[in-house]
Amino acid sequence: MRTLRFAWRCLVVSAVVVVSAPALNGCSSDAGKEKPAPVVRPKEPDIYTVEIKDMKFVPDSIVVKKGDRVIFVNRDMVGHCVTEDGKAWTSGAIPGGEDWMLVAQKSSNYYCAIHVVMKGKIVVKDSVSK
Amino acid sequence: MIKKFAGGASFALLLGLLHVTPVFSQGNPHLTDPEIASVAVVANQNDIGYAEIAQKRSKNAEVLKFAQTMSNDHKAVIAQAVALVKKLNVTPKDNAVSKKLLAGAAKEKKALEAVSDKAFDKTYIDNEVAYHKAVISTVEGVLIPQAQNAELKQLLQKVVPALKTHLAHAQMVQSNLK
Repeated sequence: MRTLRFAWRCLVVSAVVVVSAPALNGCSSDAGKEKPAPVVRPKEPDIYTVEIKDMKFVPDSIVVKKGDRVIFVNRDMVGHCVTEDGKAWTSGAIPGGEDWMLVAQKSSNYYCAIHVVMKGKIVVKDSVSK
Repeated sequence: MIKKFAGGASFALLLGLLHVTPVFSQGNPHLTDPEIASVAVVANQNDIGYAEIAQKRSKNAEVLKFAQTMSNDHKAVIAQAVALVKKLNVTPKDNAVSKKLLAGAAKEKKALEAVSDKAFDKTYIDNEVAYHKAVISTVEGVLIPQAQNAELKQLLQKVVPALKTHLAHAQMVQSNLK
């Protein structure tokens, strides 16, 4: 009887080991398969702020990467605008206290078409050292 | 151009008196905050009045654009000034300086209405250059130093860069008209 019980226990233990083996070894079951290529996410654009205050663009020159965002914030009591020298783009009027965002595509000189003596520059480079 | 203000109480003389130098400092009129507020509003109203005449008379795109900017900017400054005096519960008070500014502007407006079409643009822009120089001098030399209320002083200080930009703009237009 003891022999029969021992044999039965051995059988149960063996079965458990056999059934559990694949589960315990799951992490390496795909070892022979090709790994998926890592997902390369495009770098998030950086955001720069140019303040328009005391009738000046501050800073009046910034260096950014293509695709970076430049937010112009008008801190003056009078309206301003931001217009590319060749009029390729313009913000239209930015009332005091409001802002406007540009997605930088290429280097540009710009000015305020309302107060034409106010000028600034955006330089677009491949990389920007910070 | 300042000669146009001559006659009676000369505007040029007034501005000369207001111009701050150690020599004239004792002769500066003493203004209270309500009087300073009045001078500030009148100075802005005058330039809006000049711009309105330019918008009726000029055919020059650059002059018209400049006049529009003067009208918009000086209205914005007046709006800020009105908001501040309401907040401070101050009533702008007429005074000798604001009265002389008004009298000078009345004469200049007559001159702008009377000048020939051909001479209008130059007359208007020459006056803008002279007027902004005079107002900057008065604001920096008299109004800011004499303002007692910190917020009024701050508003006046904030107006100076706009006036200087207007002056630079007027000088650029003046140069282009030559």
